[in-house]
Amino acid sequence: MEGALKLWAVIVAVGALNYASRLSFIAFFARRSMPPLLARALKYVPAAMLTALIVPMIVDWKGAAADFATPRVAGALIAAAVAFATRSTLKTLAVGMAALWLLQWAAA
Amino acid sequence: MRQIVTSRDFREGFVEMLPACIGLTPFGVVCGVGAAAAGADWLASLGMSAIIFSGAAQILAAQLLAVDAPFAVIVLTCFVLGLRFLMYSAAMAPFLRPLPAHWQKGLAFLLTDQAFAAAVRRFHTSEDRHGAGLHFLGCGFALWLAWQASCMAGFLAGNLIPAAWSLEFAVPLCFLALLAPLFRDAPSVLAAATAGIAVLALAHLPMRLNLIAAGLLGIAIGTLADLARERWKAR
Repeated sequence: MEGALKLWAVIVAVGALNYASRLSFIAFFARRSMPPLLARALKYVPAAMLTALIVPMIVDWKGAAADFATPRVAGALIAAAVAFATRSTLKTLAVGMAALWLLQWAAA
Repeated sequence: MRQIVTSRDFREGFVEMLPACIGLTPFGVVCGVGAAAAGADWLASLGMSAIIFSGAAQILAAQLLAVDAPFAVIVLTCFVLGLRFLMYSAAMAPFLRPLPAHWQKGLAFLLTDQAFAAAVRRFHTSEDRHGAGLHFLGCGFALWLAWQASCMAGFLAGNLIPAAWSLEFAVPLCFLALLAPLFRDAPSVLAAATAGIAVLALAHLPMRLNLIAAGLLGIAIGTLADLARERWKAR
């Protein structure tokens, strides 16, 4: 698919599916309660999906092995500690970016 | 329309969300930067924030578009990420039931992590369902407006900031801030650990299918651990 067309197709499709999920039990299944197993599984969607998104952005994949000894991995670990302690997006961002810049500068 | 906007409940919701709006700004800016990096023009960037209206899904879509993943894989991966809205939808449904159908449909669009938390508090403390609906509308509208502004600011800044600043690192940092509060029990930690290991172990899969495969594996392990924990407690 051509670039701009694909981009808009993704916007419309993802937007529609997100809206359908938001609407699900309010409109489509309004008369039903959620199946217990589904309710149990949904609790783990954010933790699993967010981690699956984060890890490849931090760990480099070279050939057949992951490279953990990089400024980004170290910076992310420091930021994770800040995120745990403060629960603040702004502080996590500030400390994480500062740590990355320092480590990159030290490694260069 | 004027009646809605000038109502006390709407204004209370709007004002109550202003601190959350400020807190969301860095995340929105990062989403705008991501849209710019994926080659979106200003209208497509606005389309992403206005229509998708979910930071994590916007970033995921932008990243998968940037590596030219197939349309179906992008949509499916974003869908799994958005499944958490089913949970919010089910929790909100009993509160919204007394409201007219078009109100329910409108309010559902504004269902986000932040608005959900504020609205549930209000519905629990207030008997006035219509007022609580207006309050939710105020919350959702404030978040929506702030989200458009911060994403647009990120889009405009994204084209100016030099690559040497490694601003793309801000994306996992924002996600880390979202993830940390979720680690409150063993099944959540197991779900995350499984997904993190699997996404690397399955990195050889084509079309970035490792994301969705690792996510589903993590959800499955988390659910199993949750079931096992309950058995253990029941003994």
